[in-house]
Amino acid sequence: MSVTTPSRQQILGKIHAATQPTGNQADAYAALPRPYIRRGQLSTQACLELLIERLREYDAEVVECTAAELPFTVARQLAGSGRHIFAAPARLPADWLTEGFEWLVDNGLSDAEIEKAEGVVTAGFCAVADSGTIVLHHSAAEGRRVLTLLPDWHLCILRAGQVVETLPEYFDRCDQPAALATYISGPSATADIEMTRIKGVHGPRFLHVILVRDGN
Amino acid sequence: MSATVEEHAILDPTLAKPFPQAVLPVLRNPQLRKNVAHAIDVIQAKRAKLVAEKADWQELRTAAAAIRSHALDNLAFYLEQFETRCTAAGGQVHWAADAVEARQIILDLLRKEGASEVIKIKTMTSAEIQLNPFIEASGIRTYETDLAEIILQLGDQEPSHIVVPALHINRAQVREIFARKMGLENLSDDPKELTNAARTYLRRKFLDVPTAISGANFLIAETGGVAVVESEGNGRMCLTLPRTMITLAGIEKVLPRFQDLEVMLQLLARSATGERMNPYTSLWTGVTPGDGPQTFHVVLLDNGRSSILARPKHRQTLKCIRCAACMNTCPVYRQTGGHAYGSVYPGPIGAILTPQLAEMHHAQSLPFASSLCGACYEVCPVKINIPEVLLELRSEVVNQERKQVGRVLDPMYLGLRIANLIFAKAWIFHSAQWFGRIGLRFFTGKDGWIHWLPSVGGKWTQTRDLRGLPNQTFHSWWAARPKEGK
Repeated sequence: MSVTTPSRQQILGKIHAATQPTGNQADAYAALPRPYIRRGQLSTQACLELLIERLREYDAEVVECTAAELPFTVARQLAGSGRHIFAAPARLPADWLTEGFEWLVDNGLSDAEIEKAEGVVTAGFCAVADSGTIVLHHSAAEGRRVLTLLPDWHLCILRAGQVVETLPEYFDRCDQPAALATYISGPSATADIEMTRIKGVHGPRFLHVILVRDGN
Repeated sequence: MSATVEEHAILDPTLAKPFPQAVLPVLRNPQLRKNVAHAIDVIQAKRAKLVAEKADWQELRTAAAAIRSHALDNLAFYLEQFETRCTAAGGQVHWAADAVEARQIILDLLRKEGASEVIKIKTMTSAEIQLNPFIEASGIRTYETDLAEIILQLGDQEPSHIVVPALHINRAQVREIFARKMGLENLSDDPKELTNAARTYLRRKFLDVPTAISGANFLIAETGGVAVVESEGNGRMCLTLPRTMITLAGIEKVLPRFQDLEVMLQLLARSATGERMNPYTSLWTGVTPGDGPQTFHVVLLDNGRSSILARPKHRQTLKCIRCAACMNTCPVYRQTGGHAYGSVYPGPIGAILTPQLAEMHHAQSLPFASSLCGACYEVCPVKINIPEVLLELRSEVVNQERKQVGRVLDPMYLGLRIANLIFAKAWIFHSAQWFGRIGLRFFTGKDGWIHWLPSVGGKWTQTRDLRGLPNQTFHSWWAARPKEGK
């Protein structure tokens, strides 16, 4: 519900008086200049390499594998983390839930339960190579927002077909505007003390990415 | 407070000293100036590198400027659309004409929640309306969660920059504040250790405090969504874990469509912190069942903004996306830091925004706190012509002063009136030069320099010497020179 107050009328009245809008916002919007680059120029391979380079600059750990190697690669990453308890979104593909670890599948986990997880494994919506950004739309395979927030270690699995070069290409991939989204560009960081970049403040301190080369 | 930190800054434009006076303690504080210059140099170097690699930087600026102008030209339409869509998605929209009303709305919401504590994401708008002291006076504790804001809150300091608000404080000073306020005597001044101390300090608060307050980087009219950009993850914590979220946003923050983020996000982080993208951007729309706060309020704040909108040349001030590139590049800000501006919005954007938000009743010295070099306009990602607005505001301030009683007795005013007379006729000008040469001889030292002048002239000789006038002017030399063929 909206709270109608005298201030609402007063503010909108002042804005109306100040701007004298034409009433044809859609046409005016469509006519706005957009001379910037929409599509990237890189080959698929170069685009993947750029993403990997950017992610590594953020201190994220990236490994590549084929679809067939994926379960094994997931297991190796989990084992290499030295962690044992992992959270997973409700609809994470079953073959990613590698045996030998304790899995907390999110069918309505409480924050306290998620807090117990030492890591989390999720899918992603898309990745933008230019800025090294991983996009989550928080679908059932990407997990609720809290799931990729409390655990200190995040493994995100992306298929090569999900990688775009430029940010506008990501927006072109959205059939409709995202209602809920998180764009992650490297692990949590701060430079608030003397502009010294410190990795890991409140979000996950460790970001791992598996890129499935032959996955569309 | 540690001796190296300046006296307590006043960031309320109704109480702050004029810029030339407020700046004096800063100019006498070498540690503070060193801290500011260091931070600025680091950001500037990173920004320059990342802007240079972006082949379409100018094209992005063009698009961003057009989108922001369009949003402001049609602001009522987009705000109503935002309200409709946000409400449909389960949010509650409130309108606040000024700071007093915004504070009261937020306090009432907190009381309704029965809140005794509230966690906050860094928001300059909340500092603008002085929200924290108001809420605290009503017995509700506020916890800032951005690292820089924690440093300021625990150290009882004021922000001096809109993106890195504690850039005037160095690691030793942070250590001192944390050691004292968190009871960690063995803390070192390693930034990593200090950051970890903040992480531990806040972790339980994030999990336990059920109410949060945020600002907004963008409101999206098309969807009723809100976007917040941040680095540390404290924002995500506040946006995800509490039951209730209250977002305070200036009415100018609206973008027409979701897709406009493709322009803004490419510009914002590069301009602000010299990163290709900030570590976290969060976007949410109303309430999502099972994910994040189940009660969501947006407070839309006017507080002088609609008056700025009414003036065509000034309207561009509201295009600002708060990246701080203008202050990072400003030769004045680099020397003074933020506190001298007497406002939560320092630097060039503050110099035009603060007096206008105060409807020209306060902060009249700020439009003069600039050399008009134009560097701010050049870096602005949304192309705000700050020098143009500065000049407009300067003329308004002069017109205000002209109307003041007793103005004719002001030495500066008298001097300018006399200069006006002198320049009007050549013979008066020449006589004035003759008198000036005679008069200045009394002040000219043996070295040919003037080191001291009385009255208004002293404003010059306070900080620089003046060369004594030569015995002959160019005009008299020209007239008296030996002429060819004669």
